[in-house]
Amino acid sequence: MSTDTEQDISIDRSIGDFRYDVDYAFDAGTGLSERTIDYISDVKGDPDWIRAFRKDAYRRFVEKPMPTHWASHDLDNIVFENIRYYLSQGTAPKRSWDEVPENVKRTFERLGIPEQERKFLAGVEAQFDSEAAYSNIKKAVGEQGVIFVGSTEGLHKHPEIFRRWFGKVIPTGDNKFSALNSAVFSGGSFIYVPPGVKVKHPLQAYFRINAESFGQFERTLIIADEGSEVMYMEGCTAPKFETTTLHSAVVELVALPGAKIQYVTVQNWSPNVFNLVTKRGLAHEEAEIKWIDCNIGSRLTMKYPSVVMKGRKARGEVISIALANDGQHQDTGAKMIHAANETTSNIVSKSISVGTGRATYRGLVHVPRHLKGCKNNTECDALLISSHSRTDTYPAISVRGQGNACQHEASVSQISEDQIFYMQQRGISEGAAMSLAVNGFVNDLVQQFPMEYSVELKRLIDLEMEGSVG
Amino acid sequence: MSLSIQNLRASIGACEILKGVSLEVPKGEVHAIMGKNGSGKSTLAKVMAGHPSYELSSGDVILDGQSILDLEPDERARAGLFLAFQYPMEVPGVTIANFLRAALQARLPEGEELDAVAYYRQLYAKMDALKIPREFTSRSVNEGFSGGEKKRCEILQLALLEPAYAVLDETDSGLDIDALKVVAEGVNALRSPERGFLVITHYQRLLNHIVPDVVHVMVDGRIVRSGQKDLALKLEAEGYDWVEKEAALAA
Amino acid sequence: MSVTATEPVSKEAEQNWPAWFRDQQTSAWADYEGSPDPTRKDEPWRFSNIGAIGLAEFQPAESVTSEGRLINISQGLADVSAKLVFGNNALLHQDVERLPHGVLLKSLEAAAREDEELFRKFFMVQPIELGSHKYASLHQARLSTGAFLYVPKNVEVALPVEIFHWIEGENASIFPHTLVVCGENSKVTVIDHFKSADGKRAFACGVNDLHLEQGAQLNYVAIQEWTRESLAFHLNSTIVGRDASSTALNINFGGGFVRGESLSRLIGEGARSVMLSLNPMDGERQIDQRTLQDHAAPHASSDLLYLNSLDDASRTIFAGLIKVEPGAHKTDAYQKVRNLMLSDQAEANSMPGLEIQADDVRCTHGATSGEINEDELFYMQARGIRKSDGRRLIVNGFFRSLLERLESGSLRTYLGGMVSKKLGVSSA
Repeated sequence: MSTDTEQDISIDRSIGDFRYDVDYAFDAGTGLSERTIDYISDVKGDPDWIRAFRKDAYRRFVEKPMPTHWASHDLDNIVFENIRYYLSQGTAPKRSWDEVPENVKRTFERLGIPEQERKFLAGVEAQFDSEAAYSNIKKAVGEQGVIFVGSTEGLHKHPEIFRRWFGKVIPTGDNKFSALNSAVFSGGSFIYVPPGVKVKHPLQAYFRINAESFGQFERTLIIADEGSEVMYMEGCTAPKFETTTLHSAVVELVALPGAKIQYVTVQNWSPNVFNLVTKRGLAHEEAEIKWIDCNIGSRLTMKYPSVVMKGRKARGEVISIALANDGQHQDTGAKMIHAANETTSNIVSKSISVGTGRATYRGLVHVPRHLKGCKNNTECDALLISSHSRTDTYPAISVRGQGNACQHEASVSQISEDQIFYMQQRGISEGAAMSLAVNGFVNDLVQQFPMEYSVELKRLIDLEMEGSVG
Repeated sequence: MSLSIQNLRASIGACEILKGVSLEVPKGEVHAIMGKNGSGKSTLAKVMAGHPSYELSSGDVILDGQSILDLEPDERARAGLFLAFQYPMEVPGVTIANFLRAALQARLPEGEELDAVAYYRQLYAKMDALKIPREFTSRSVNEGFSGGEKKRCEILQLALLEPAYAVLDETDSGLDIDALKVVAEGVNALRSPERGFLVITHYQRLLNHIVPDVVHVMVDGRIVRSGQKDLALKLEAEGYDWVEKEAALAA
Repeated sequence: MSVTATEPVSKEAEQNWPAWFRDQQTSAWADYEGSPDPTRKDEPWRFSNIGAIGLAEFQPAESVTSEGRLINISQGLADVSAKLVFGNNALLHQDVERLPHGVLLKSLEAAAREDEELFRKFFMVQPIELGSHKYASLHQARLSTGAFLYVPKNVEVALPVEIFHWIEGENASIFPHTLVVCGENSKVTVIDHFKSADGKRAFACGVNDLHLEQGAQLNYVAIQEWTRESLAFHLNSTIVGRDASSTALNINFGGGFVRGESLSRLIGEGARSVMLSLNPMDGERQIDQRTLQDHAAPHASSDLLYLNSLDDASRTIFAGLIKVEPGAHKTDAYQKVRNLMLSDQAEANSMPGLEIQADDVRCTHGATSGEINEDELFYMQARGIRKSDGRRLIVNGFFRSLLERLESGSLRTYLGGMVSKKLGVSSA
């Protein structure tokens, strides 16, 4: 609306904004050096190749400049020396909630994780700061040969699969933050789904940051073998601190021929979190990778889920919802690399900017030479709620050769005064009308989330919109 | 008990559109306002409903003894005033079912939940009466609707929200005769001693189907003449020139 | 001596230009020399083939061999109101007798001497924001002449003004310049022709600036026909005042590597800018176009449509930005690039961008890359049209749809004929 409504949004983050005191057995201290890396490797009992991998990554991290020639200068406000890079109560996750230390267990209970596990999940991993406190998979699913463990356990117990794919989808030097993650990674999931196995219920990871001035660097690797199917969901929260928190994950997906991976994220970090995540999937012949991504929280999010379509008829999809509220910058998007014939990709992105919020879409679609029958469709829609809001769209589409089709469309709109008036005339309050209109705007995408998440999402959007009308 | 408009003056920007409008619609009656394009009819409807674009300089709107001018648009609606829009807004992504549910929910006391089963039963019954196909409930409000569908949807909302007073702004515009009959039947079915109607129209045609108790003629932001329903027929036959002349002489 | 080497100011320049202008040239030269070469990491040069920008072998242009011949072949539209002919950085011919009273059409140096106030107010006052600041400085430093058109308040020039810019000589360099100032409520159509006299490889570094004061209407067409080995920069800015309306069409028939930058700045309420480009690409030709639709005032509209057909190993870059500044409410902005891929070796890069800082706006952009619709082609073949002819007809139709945007029927016919000729389609 064009009316200059001053924003005073008190976002109800009560769901994640609490914290219990916890004693850490392992603490790498503040700041980052080779010694920090040795400390992490020692605690985790890393094999030599991982220690070397970390050190090489650290060197690249130091060498690489901040990408501020295209990205937000807010990145310059991250003081790497002030961050704590590893905090844990031990490296072995518990298989039963009863064994989880009391305050950690209380934390996850309050977030509703054990309840969700009982209701509809095939397995859960609950990460608390640097390590998983709890990790379990339903017996029946485990018996099908599905592996669902933390990255450390995956590395130790399944080296033959782990080593083959680890760091292959996202090379260490892909960007400064993938290098940082590669240097200090801890936690995250390792999943292997054997050929033909279709995991009926989702596997879920929950990432909780509890400590102040902390950096969480989980590393997730999912391999879906031929013809298998799996859905993975991740959620995250942190209490709100005055100081900066850093979350920098690397997620690699491998869908072997005919496999399907769906990766669902609902990001609701507190507004002091820099969320700088690299996510990429490799889709082999006739495989399908779908990122369903929703960003509501954080101070600055930079995340562009990618799919490299390596095999004929592979498919890639990114469904993205971003809500940038006062003071937030959601810099999200998608990358689609078509590397084989008849590959198809689809990007649908919707963003909402409220108050002084800024939503940015960055996209890359690449169809190299000598390919036939590749298709991309991209739609980006942005909704602006107030006159101080900002939205940007920066796509780049490279197509070589004929016989491929790419189509990009974007629009920017606002909720008009007359729409709100119309709804008010039916007796609906201005705030409720705004929520209805915003939910209407993202409705078709919310439908793509699993039911349990779409209800939660709708509630989150309602909360965020509360008070956004002056 | 009435909806009473008292010497209402309103402008948009520097341009005064309503120049002292007064009229009273008692419960149980149907009043019509006729007038040429630009005479201020639609502005009157929007001002009554509280549209933010208009500036009021004087006058009052009294609903059953209470002034509603200090109320927000949604508060006026809940107080019992319904406006059927001349151009109903499209609200993308919001289904009719959800929209009406939110509107009904807003009328319940805090903490009370709408009975979903009863809601759908009632909704479907009213849709059937207005010959609106059931699948409309899952379509977005007014999005992609034809002119006739939009107007029928307005009457559906009127039927469901059961206001004390309904203002119909050019509800006949863009309707063919069959659609007009459906809409008029819908409105007639809602006539009751407990409800007042103010029907704004450009053409007499609608008034053959919704027969008014009183007809007002609006010229240049004022009601210049009121009378029985035969006034509408005279306007249709002779045009507006004579009332304009009369108004000019009176001014 | 290379065009990029420092050279003393010629006697001619000494006489033609006022001293204050030569001072500006000196600082422009310093700026050129002091600015770094672009790299692909610079956002305004993303995807660009910077390796193609080698200026060392280009020489300052000599005088043309036959002025009379060039004047004779400077034929465009049948009916024009005035004509200027430039060749190798010199004014060869001017025919300005039929212009309405008060309209000024003359060489830039004459304007600098005779209309100093106007010249200073409008000459290269827009910052070059789309990447080629360095080359704009080179242009300014090396400039020796150009066209200056001023249409006073309330004057309408009925027939188009045509300007020809010729280049002659192997590796010659020219610096064409067109400055158009449309006073309040004036109206004019300007056609800039960029042509090679001898089919040799050359370098052109041109600037054209269009200023529209309140209520003015301007139609501007640039028809670029450099040789397919040539290197060219064409840097354009259009400043549109309140209720003024500009339609600018850039046609690129030639050039080996062409960098085009077009900026439209809408500075008054109700301003409108239509930005069009038509690029039939073939061989190994490359075109790199950057555009900005800068909405600095409310209630303004802009509409951009760029069409590329890509045959052989041609390559295109389109990077466009719609920028809506804070307070520019009720903006209506549209941007679309369409790439018609005709070959397996061709490459199209599209970067349509939006930066929106006002909320009550309607902005859309789109980019499509696709091949010829097989059904359309089949339909033509079913009527007995050869496949290759059918393809040309479809490409011709693709571009014709853009020409429909032009107001003047005679201009549409003229340009349509040129497009058909370029594509080898009979224009009947």
